[in-house]
Amino acid sequence: MNESSNQADQSDRSGISRRHFVKVTGTIVLVAGTGCADRYADLAAAYGIPPSDGYLLVDTKKCQGCASCMLACSLVHEGVESQSLSRIQIIQNSFESFPDDLTIEQCRQCVDPACVKECPTDALKANPKYGNVRMVETEKCIGCGACYDACPYTPSRPVLAADKNYQGQTKSRKCDLCANTPYHWDKAGGGPDGKQACVEVCPVGAIKFTEEIPRQKGDDGYKVDLRDRNWGRLGYPTR
Amino acid sequence: MNGYAGKILKLDLTGRKVSTIPTSKYEQWMGGHGMGSAIFFDLVKDKTIDGFHPGNVITMMTSPLSGTLVPGASARTEVQGIGVQSYPIGWFTRSNFGGRFSPMLKFAGWDGVVVSGKADKPVWIDIRDDQVRIRDCAPLSLWGKETWDCQETIWQHVVGDGKYGDWNSPAGEEGGKTTQRPAVVAIGPAGENQSRLACLIHDASNAAGQGGFGAVWGAKNLKAISVIGTGHVEVNDPRALMAARLWQKKNYAFDLAHLKESGPSFRFQSPPVPVALWTKGRPKIDQRPQACMGCHSGCRARYKDKLGNEASCFASVFYHEAKTLDIQRSASDLINRHGLNAVEMTFGIVYLRILQQSGQLKTGKIPDCPLDFREYGSKEFVEQFVKMIAYGNDGKGNESQFGKDISGGFVRAAEKWGRRKQDLDSGILAFPYWGIPVHKEPRAQVYWGYGTLLGDRDINEHDFDWIKHDASSAKSLGREPSLPAQEVVKIITDKMVPFQGDLEMLDFSENNIYSEHMAKMVSWHRYYTRFWKQSMLFCDTRWPDFVNIHAPGKIGTTGVAEPKYIKAVTGKDFSFLDGVNLGRKIWNLDHAIWTLQGRHRDMVHFVDNIYEKRPLFPADVPNAYMPGKENGKWDYYGYSQRTIDRDKFDEFKTRFYRLQDWDTATGYPTRAALEALGLGYVADELEAQGKLGVRATEAKQSSPRK
Repeated sequence: MNESSNQADQSDRSGISRRHFVKVTGTIVLVAGTGCADRYADLAAAYGIPPSDGYLLVDTKKCQGCASCMLACSLVHEGVESQSLSRIQIIQNSFESFPDDLTIEQCRQCVDPACVKECPTDALKANPKYGNVRMVETEKCIGCGACYDACPYTPSRPVLAADKNYQGQTKSRKCDLCANTPYHWDKAGGGPDGKQACVEVCPVGAIKFTEEIPRQKGDDGYKVDLRDRNWGRLGYPTR
Repeated sequence: MNGYAGKILKLDLTGRKVSTIPTSKYEQWMGGHGMGSAIFFDLVKDKTIDGFHPGNVITMMTSPLSGTLVPGASARTEVQGIGVQSYPIGWFTRSNFGGRFSPMLKFAGWDGVVVSGKADKPVWIDIRDDQVRIRDCAPLSLWGKETWDCQETIWQHVVGDGKYGDWNSPAGEEGGKTTQRPAVVAIGPAGENQSRLACLIHDASNAAGQGGFGAVWGAKNLKAISVIGTGHVEVNDPRALMAARLWQKKNYAFDLAHLKESGPSFRFQSPPVPVALWTKGRPKIDQRPQACMGCHSGCRARYKDKLGNEASCFASVFYHEAKTLDIQRSASDLINRHGLNAVEMTFGIVYLRILQQSGQLKTGKIPDCPLDFREYGSKEFVEQFVKMIAYGNDGKGNESQFGKDISGGFVRAAEKWGRRKQDLDSGILAFPYWGIPVHKEPRAQVYWGYGTLLGDRDINEHDFDWIKHDASSAKSLGREPSLPAQEVVKIITDKMVPFQGDLEMLDFSENNIYSEHMAKMVSWHRYYTRFWKQSMLFCDTRWPDFVNIHAPGKIGTTGVAEPKYIKAVTGKDFSFLDGVNLGRKIWNLDHAIWTLQGRHRDMVHFVDNIYEKRPLFPADVPNAYMPGKENGKWDYYGYSQRTIDRDKFDEFKTRFYRLQDWDTATGYPTRAALEALGLGYVADELEAQGKLGVRATEAKQSSPRK
């Protein structure tokens, strides 16, 4: 019996899934890092909107800037190739010095998601069908941009663009861990239990899926070190 | 039109007019070079004009795969037009560059840009989706700026009050949004001053290096083209495209968990290691690999101190005798900033160094050289040298005939100095064909030399070059090559449709290099690259995938992968052989243009050095080991130390022309050959100009006219 199936077996016996365990402990780690007053607020927020079952982590020092993740993202979600429709954004400057020459900005699936809270039509919400990933229900979206404005990060993780399926009306899109991907290549599809296009396509393994809730404060929880000894063999920094 | 934006941007700089050409008009050529040649043929009525003439038309074309997930085929832009580098005639020529210009053009809704005429004063082109403006350079003081400064100034102008990294609406609030910087391709001072070494630079070190297109832009008063696109490329079968990409990643690309190689990145299978060929090696400082858009394995890097950012190949080789690694890296930046062709700069500085060391630099008709060779290897020396060529002066702002001469190219300078023939023949001026610098040793890798001579430029197509690299490094290290010669030859020739199975195509022994087999090999290479690399824009560093160490039987994906991607993106059933055949058609069209420009069989020869002398210095590796069959045995043999037989090469030309169904006496295309390819209208033009060939079987003579 291999390690993962052993874990699954134990989880079944205890009546609590590994995913649930990780979620709870991750939330504890999350709040442990904040002030006392914030702790309760965050806890309330975390339980008011259940945390996502999955998150994307990136290594901005490992990324080679090919933007294949962006092309894959728009491809599986929209059936076209586009940087502007990608839910993950690589932004770079040829003339800058490493590591300030490039950044990766992915949706954080925030435990306390401002975008969800601000959506006036409940189009953007944690979707229990897909592990509570924060998703846009396009039919309900009125393209008001409240989620776009509410997102505290730059660039805004919700992407506003015309949607050809709705007569060119502006609609919001955001990372759903590939849950709603009409053009997913794998029959099992995406979402927290499936495969994410950006993770799968990244040539250098600079994007990783995790079930554990990253530290919410600052960038450290989401921008991580995914470099190993073999990366060092190629002449790149591993620290 | 899946894969296509549907329209090509046409700019008339003389009249400052912007118009469009429907892509469908040229779709039969599929993309890139094929479309560019066809457009050029249609728009330039008099093919004999000089490259500096306002009537010269420059095409910058994408492919239907540009901006898509096809690995190593998303990012290149094919540039064509009459060049000003080659000698004695500036041939209709090509160059291409990577980065993100081509995808951005597609996202903006354009399959290419066609530039004609000459602006009355310096201009730049501002493309924001479907909004296109021809803008004067003056308000931004662009004319006079180095390429990097020019790009950054345009970036700032386009974003206005915005900030990159946030969502911006470059085409106005009603337009689409993007976080990206515009993709800008620009000329530097070298182009503005019409140095024949001037090239086009995009981002830090993507260069359309050959042909002198920077000077052509300079003559047109065109400083830069900027494009920002917020749109998309339609894909026929998104699932199939993603699946194909992952199939190749899983089975044929490097695996970081199980690395099988860690050297510079030359092939499909290679991990992302920069092809940074600085003499003292790659800097041991923090860095990242850097890839063109959509590529699965970057071949360049960006560094903690940003010196030499993205420089690779010749941009890094240049100034190989720099005193320190940092000086050589600075030299890479200098040529990129000034917009100069790294290959000619590399062999040009070698030429001057030899003249100086042999005491000939102050002899004869050579004007006073402002360079102080006691400082050779220093940063000051190379900065002055670069500026001399970029500005056509002494490199310090003062007039200099010497600087003016070398700014016009080293072969033309030698001609002015009355020593062109003697220096070409001795080999110190290592420009063995068309006034173009050597690259790979043509005596060993004869297909490289033949292809260059029969074409328009240093072919710079590395399809078979890795064989030599693998075998030569193995010999020097005393280990076995990756595969026995015969096995490599078998795998590759099996893929060379329609000549598949002819192993002798890759026999580089003395007995075979003038044969019908070699004529087939050179033909296949011309057809393959014209279509698959220069029209579909598969990257030269990543494709073809002939032999792959990760694959069962070490058989790579070429022949299978390419049509799979075309089908996924465009929906077309288009086989690998279809592509080779279309490549033949494109090759014939190009050859017809050269013929109209004045090409004749008698002109197609190496300089005497290649026939009479062994290499003066290694153009590539000390000895090039290539597959050969000697005394019936396949192995790798060193072939650099030989000469090309003049008469036998002449016989080879006859075989080559016959294989193309061209006139063996003149090298002119025949009506039969052209009509068989659907190029009857090209035959009509050749006939009108008295340049139509007579079919070999119709000609009474069997030996070529001298």
